[in-house]
Amino acid sequence: MNGLPPVALIAASVLLPLLYPLLAARPGWRGALRAALPLLPLPALVLAMLSATPWTLELPWLMLGSTWMLDELRRSFLLLTALLWSTAGLYAVGYLGSEHLRRFCVFWGLTLAGNLGLVLAGDMVSFYTFFSVMTFAAYGLVVHDGSDRARFAGRVYLVMALLGEMALLAGFLLAAQAVDTLLLADLAAGIGASDDGHLITALLIAGFGVKAGLPLLHFWLPLAHPVAPTPASAVLSGAMIKAGLLGWLLALPIGEAGWGPWGQFLIVMGFVGSLGAALFGMLQRDPKTVLAWSSISQMGLIVVPVGAALAAPGHAPVLLPAIALFALHHGLAKGCLFLAVGLVLPASRILRVLLWLLVALPALSLLGLPFTSGALAKGVMKKALLATPDLPLAEHMPLLLQAATLATLVLVVRYGWMLWLKLEPGGAAACRWWGWILATLCSAVLFWWLPVVR
Amino acid sequence: MSLSALLPILALLSSLLAAVVIFALPESSHRLRTLVNLLAALLKLGVVAVMTWGVFRGVDFSVSFTMLPGVSFMLRADALAMLFAGLSAVLWLFTTIYAVGYLEDSPNRSRFFGFFSLCVASTMGVALAGNLFTFFLFYEMLTLSTYPLVVHRGTDKSLQAGRNYIIYTLGGGVALLLGIAWLHGLAGDLPFQETGHFQGADPALHGQLTLIFVLLIAGLGVKAGLFPLHGWLPQAMVAPAPVSALLHAVAVVKAGAFGIVRVVYDIYGIDFAYALGLLEPLAWLAAFTIIYGSVRALWQTDLKRRLAFSTISQVSYIILGVTLFGPLGAVGGLVHLLHQGIMKITLFFCAGNYAETLGVHRVDELDGAGARMPATSVAFTLAALGMIGVPPLAGFVTKWALGAGALAAEMEWAILVLLVSSLLNAAYFLPIVYRLWFCPIAAPWPAERRWGRLETHAWLFWPPLVTTLMLVLVGLLAATFVSPLSWAQLIAVRMYLP
Repeated sequence: MNGLPPVALIAASVLLPLLYPLLAARPGWRGALRAALPLLPLPALVLAMLSATPWTLELPWLMLGSTWMLDELRRSFLLLTALLWSTAGLYAVGYLGSEHLRRFCVFWGLTLAGNLGLVLAGDMVSFYTFFSVMTFAAYGLVVHDGSDRARFAGRVYLVMALLGEMALLAGFLLAAQAVDTLLLADLAAGIGASDDGHLITALLIAGFGVKAGLPLLHFWLPLAHPVAPTPASAVLSGAMIKAGLLGWLLALPIGEAGWGPWGQFLIVMGFVGSLGAALFGMLQRDPKTVLAWSSISQMGLIVVPVGAALAAPGHAPVLLPAIALFALHHGLAKGCLFLAVGLVLPASRILRVLLWLLVALPALSLLGLPFTSGALAKGVMKKALLATPDLPLAEHMPLLLQAATLATLVLVVRYGWMLWLKLEPGGAAACRWWGWILATLCSAVLFWWLPVVR
Repeated sequence: MSLSALLPILALLSSLLAAVVIFALPESSHRLRTLVNLLAALLKLGVVAVMTWGVFRGVDFSVSFTMLPGVSFMLRADALAMLFAGLSAVLWLFTTIYAVGYLEDSPNRSRFFGFFSLCVASTMGVALAGNLFTFFLFYEMLTLSTYPLVVHRGTDKSLQAGRNYIIYTLGGGVALLLGIAWLHGLAGDLPFQETGHFQGADPALHGQLTLIFVLLIAGLGVKAGLFPLHGWLPQAMVAPAPVSALLHAVAVVKAGAFGIVRVVYDIYGIDFAYALGLLEPLAWLAAFTIIYGSVRALWQTDLKRRLAFSTISQVSYIILGVTLFGPLGAVGGLVHLLHQGIMKITLFFCAGNYAETLGVHRVDELDGAGARMPATSVAFTLAALGMIGVPPLAGFVTKWALGAGALAAEMEWAILVLLVSSLLNAAYFLPIVYRLWFCPIAAPWPAERRWGRLETHAWLFWPPLVTTLMLVLVGLLAATFVSPLSWAQLIAVRMYLP
């Protein structure tokens, strides 16, 4: 039984960030432009917190006939996206200089609209549309500072992203041809029925893999995530990277029999990413680059249960919530860690100790310290994985998971060390502090009250 | 004479009479000329709107009379005709507004706008022509009326380009005429009809029909910029911006592409063309042109030249769609007739704005232009993204429909062509967009002019913004019954399921 979709709230969730760039039309409105940054995701946040799921909204007049929806899986991702973007937005108010402020805000709004919209999308064209809007607009965030490094990273990002988009388009076209509908919900069955099923699966894995940092498609990520302004890095590595994951969960033939080899492939790639990224990350000096590698590593860990769900279709209903929970945990924690890089050391010793404690909290959460979001998410995921019947690599799984934890530890320590060397005394705008503190609160405290966790 | 016969004539006469009046007006009466121009454009838009509604409802607008024994002059409005007529009517209005602003204070405006109106009248005729003979008449009239526009500036370069243009197009005209005459000899006066004329034709004629097809396509391919007949197009760039906009988006290239659509669907019939094996070679030629145009565009430093090669590439999307056997492919090709027009006219308007306002003609001079001309640059950016096929813009709808058509026709290779072309489009458009927004202004603008509050002359400022809004809306509202996509689907349904 579907709930009634709260149409006004849904419209506001997408339209507010989408139309917000119009404020840039007048130079005199730049104050409002900056101040509105943390408010943009609020309708979406209310939607994610309060609306009764599942609901489906048919928009037959939009594009090729659109369907928007919210279910428990999407709710997790919507919560993550809205929470992280609003805290990062608050942080950005205190972070941005006046140079190219309007340009940054325009791209921020568009990227956010894409990121929120794709979570709500129930059909291929809507998903692809919002995904593209996010991808293209995020380029503006990556190259914002205009340095040679940023421009190079931007170019690599754009080339990889375009190739990914093409893979997705081809995959979606083939899939739509096979199922004769545009609904994502019918996609899995359609891929199963299509003669080109393996080609479609490969295209979708690769297309979303670019965004999710799948090994060998990840090159752009350690370049682009760190060069963006810090609040943009946080949303890139916390929220947008999850769009690739969500794409996989919605589009791959999860729950259908006969995709074992692809599941196995993803499990192997997941561990390769998880462990390999640690090797590269531990050599980095910039704490943001360490974090980018850590994102690849953590995404690798999330890919493992995705592969398991593909390999063991019967067990997918247990694995999917575990994946969503882990994504929520990682997104919030990683956002905090990125935001911390732009902080300064306060003068008082007590405040400094407090600062390091708060920085350490999400880091320890990534490691799975008891009573953190990580402990819950990792525990649920591990349990779901180990309970999966006929899991590829089953006999090595506990060892591999321990190795992944070690990889996480290595990167977290490296990050802490590099941050220790980087942070300097000084002053920062209040909004920057509040953005970071709120993000940390979300990760450590609010997490436990979120509808998908309770 | 009944109303249904009067309306096609009125659509034609509105711009024909405007041309006569404008030629008659003295050079100095600018206001009156502008008024005549705009009234004619609005009148035609109204007539076309009424006719479109009528065709949607199933009214048959047609008029014909015999010119020579066996040769008749025939105007007829079917769904396909209204697709092209609608495009011309809408874009003519904006191009007129733009041209008035663009040519302010320049000499020979009377001559310019006279031929401008003639050109649009010819386009209307091409759209509404009911048989091959009438089509040919207006097709050649189009050639003759655009020549003075191409050479309007009167410089050596433009005269050279004009000479080239006339050689190519008249050559194409000869081939077309030969084909039409031959066909006339075989089958008599052929009105355009939705399933063609040769279903079940005598196999003994197949060889001749194939040769005639080649002649017709060669004649039409010149204007459509089909490789290797595209040589005139990049050179014709020396024309003033509104002319380029008209040549590339509406009149000339579209007349060629539209003619190919007519020949394939309404003369040969898609099933017969398919059975005769004519579609596949044409599909390959279109695919090659798509890639070729994009690759050549990569190396152009002149903005308008780059856009010209882009046109060569994009017009062949239409031809590719026609050759994908099946209604889905037809939808993709037909809808691109409109979509490409809206996007390309926006790009040319913008290129004209940069040239008129900043004196910028080359891509590398555009650094930082986004800060100086934000509205124009937003328009350019969206149109460029549309060309690449980024959703939800117009170009995406085309790409999706063509892709679906290619799969339905089991021509998977066409998808690869579309994807490669998208990447190439990105490769030559995105660097421009990058320069607009992310590069600092490098040097003073070559020739900057200021007009009060807006970033450019008001008559230049608004047309690209309106067409940009259109290219967003035709994508966003593609599923509604007023969209070009729905209209293309209507045509395809009538063509495949008569």
